[in-house]
Amino acid sequence: MATSSAWSASCCGGGGAATLVLPKFFDTMYDVSVGYEQYHGFWNQDGDHLNDPPGSDLNQFRITPGYAKRINDNWQASIVMPYVWNDNKYAGLSSNTNGLGDATIGFWYENFDDIKCVYAVNSIEDLTPAAYFGASLTVPTGVSPYDDVENSFDITGRGFYRLDANMLLDKTVFPWGLSLSLSYGVYLERDVNQEYGNYVEPYKRKLGNRASGSLGFSYSKTLEELDTLTYTLTYAALKEDEATINGSIDTTSGFNTQSVSLAVAYSTMAKDWILRASFNHLPTSDGLGANFPVTDTITIGVSYVIP
Amino acid sequence: MLFLKSILLTSILFLSACSDVLDDINPSGSDKRGDFDSSTIGSHPGQTAADFSVFDTLNDTFVMSAELVGSDAIVVYFTMWCPICDSHMTHMRTNIIPDYPDVQFYFIDYVSGLVSVARASQLDNGYGASSVLVDDSNHTVTNLYNATMGTTIVIDSNTIVQMNEDYKDGRKLKDVLDALP
Repeated sequence: MATSSAWSASCCGGGGAATLVLPKFFDTMYDVSVGYEQYHGFWNQDGDHLNDPPGSDLNQFRITPGYAKRINDNWQASIVMPYVWNDNKYAGLSSNTNGLGDATIGFWYENFDDIKCVYAVNSIEDLTPAAYFGASLTVPTGVSPYDDVENSFDITGRGFYRLDANMLLDKTVFPWGLSLSLSYGVYLERDVNQEYGNYVEPYKRKLGNRASGSLGFSYSKTLEELDTLTYTLTYAALKEDEATINGSIDTTSGFNTQSVSLAVAYSTMAKDWILRASFNHLPTSDGLGANFPVTDTITIGVSYVIP
Repeated sequence: MLFLKSILLTSILFLSACSDVLDDINPSGSDKRGDFDSSTIGSHPGQTAADFSVFDTLNDTFVMSAELVGSDAIVVYFTMWCPICDSHMTHMRTNIIPDYPDVQFYFIDYVSGLVSVARASQLDNGYGASSVLVDDSNHTVTNLYNATMGTTIVIDSNTIVQMNEDYKDGRKLKDVLDALP
C-alpha cells in the first residue's frame, strides 16, 4: 500500500513519492513502481486551464523502488527513492534528461493491535478503523534549480527538506473499503546562492506549507484460488501555500490541485505478492487547480511482502 | 537500527555518485559571484551585453542595441509558457511594467523556434498585447545569456548587464530598475 498520490511536474521539480505502508503482522516489504506522466497544459494562478505550446509533448517517467521494515509490533519505517526521466519535446527544442528524484523516509505508528478488516458488523467495535499516524521526511536528493545544472529540463526534485505529519484511516467491511489519508507538511528554509548553475546574490527561501488529503472507496472480489482483486476509486486534493524569499511572501508561488484515480490491485491468497495498476487524472476544467500542471499518470507496481 | 544503517549506506552510495545534489543536501549561503566589469562582453551583471537580433511574433526584426536607443533599459524574460512562467509574467505585467514607462519589456519564447508557433502560444496564454520575441532554433540568445525558464535579464542604456537571474518574486528586478544609472 502507498499513501496518496505522487505529485510531480517536471518544470516545477517532480519525482516526489508516496510513503509505503506495511500491512499488519508483516515484517518486510520490497516495492517497485513504474510511472508514466503526460502533461496536458496547466492551470494559471486564476485557475484557468491553458494549453501547452503547439507541437509540444511533455512527459515524465519514474521508477520508484521502496523498502519498508517493521521495527516492532506497532512501528514501521520505510524509504522510497524515485529515479526520474524527463522527456520534453517542443516545436523548437527537445530534451531528455534523468536523475534521482527526492527521497522520502517515513515512519508509521499503528494505533491498533489486530486486523480491522471485518466481514460483518455485529457491534460498534467492528466499525473501528485501522488508524496509522506517522511522520515522513522528504530529502532533496533530486536535481533542483539550486544545483549546478544547465536548465529547467534537468530538474527532478524541489531542493528542500520537508517534514510531514501523516494520518491514514482505513476500514474494510468486506468487500467494501473506505480510506482517508491526510498530511500536513512544512518545508525547511534553506540558503540559495545559485540558480541553474549561475551564482546569484545569496538569499533564503522557504516553500509554503502544504496540506493534502485523499478519500478512497474500494471493492474487493475474492477469486477462486482465494486471491483478491481490489478496485479503488480515490479523490485527492493538494494545496501548497506561497513561498517566502528572505521572509517576504513570493506571490508568484503556491498552488493547488485536485485529482481522481482508479486503481486495481491483485494480491495472492497469502498476501505476499501484490500487483497493482492505477490511472491518475487531473481534469482540465477551469477552477479545479491553480498554478499547477495538468497531467495524467499511469502507474504499475509490484510489492513483495514477507511475514 | 539495521534499517537505519542500510538507509544511510544506500544514501551515501547514491549521493556520492551524484555530486550535483549535494548542493541541496547541504546548501551554501556563500556569495560566489565573480567580479565582472564592462571591459568584457558576457552575460554576467557588470559585463557589456552581447548584441543580438531576433524576430518578434509579428515577424519584425528586433535588434537589442537599436531598442536601447531612447530607453532607460530593456528587460527580457525567458518563457516556455509553463505555470511558473505565467505567474512570473502576470506579476511583471501587473506590478512592474506600469511603473517603468521608459523601460522596454519583452518576453522571449525559447522553446517554439518558429514565429507562428510562438504567436499561437502568446495568444493562447493571453499575452496578445505584450511584446514577445522568438529565439531561433539554435537558441542563440538563450545560450548567449546562459538562460532558462524564468531567467530575467536587464540591460541598461550603456549596454551593461544589470541583472541575469530567475525572476522569483520580482523584488530583485524592481530594485535593479530603481537603481538604473
